[in-house]
Amino acid sequence: MSTRRSRGSTRISDDQIIELVSKLRQLVPEIRNRRSDKVSASKVLQETCNYIRSLHREVSDLSERLSQLLTTIDADSAEAGIIRSLLNQ
Amino acid sequence: MKWVKQEFLKKWIWGLRKYSSEKKSMSLMERKKAIKVSADLAMACTRNNRTRWSRALIANASKDGSSKILTEHLLSSSLPIRKSFNSTRMRSCRNILRRNRAVRRPKDRVVASFIAKKLVQKRTRRLKSLLPGGEFMDDVSLVDETLDYIQSLRAQVEVMRCLVTASELMILSPS
Repeated sequence: MSTRRSRGSTRISDDQIIELVSKLRQLVPEIRNRRSDKVSASKVLQETCNYIRSLHREVSDLSERLSQLLTTIDADSAEAGIIRSLLNQ
Repeated sequence: MKWVKQEFLKKWIWGLRKYSSEKKSMSLMERKKAIKVSADLAMACTRNNRTRWSRALIANASKDGSSKILTEHLLSSSLPIRKSFNSTRMRSCRNILRRNRAVRRPKDRVVASFIAKKLVQKRTRRLKSLLPGGEFMDDVSLVDETLDYIQSLRAQVEVMRCLVTASELMILSPS
């Protein structure tokens, strides 16, 4: 099996998988909790994709919550004034 | 990382102000999109053009009609960007990928390893689809870009979470 690192190859080489695993270990919760060193390439990729998707969801959820807050605050309240000065100038 | 969060927060708030001054009254969904786009752009800007995902994110936002004005505002105060993301260099990378996709199979392959390889290919494609500009990336940069992107996303989420929960505490709790 060739592991050439040519630009444009659609296959990730073994070296890169090992590098990715060691770095992702600290970042992705799912992989960090695994004790085995033999994490398969496809598993690493899967957990990475899942993690990125969950981060995307959280950004979207937080944006929606902030949007609802800004929409529902009473125009004359002290809190509205604070938020307004922070965000509206 | 703390510096990145500070920069992000500054740019995000700045972007939100620009959005508010542009459109006085927004629907819930419009405002949500404004908040999200401001946040994504702010985080991309903290990378100072040093990563491909951030350049791709900014380029994509410039093309999107509703985000265009905000992108221009945000970028006028930052370093200049490479406006032509779809350059000839990217096109030749894409063509190389297309040519290499026709892989010649070895004559005596083990079915299990073949399936494993296919699975890695499939999941690599999925990862590329999740990264801004990922479809143009070769596998060497994909690893570094993924790591940088995940770190940035985490910082973005942490700051957003702080702001939103603090605001909710302030507004939703009876005073």
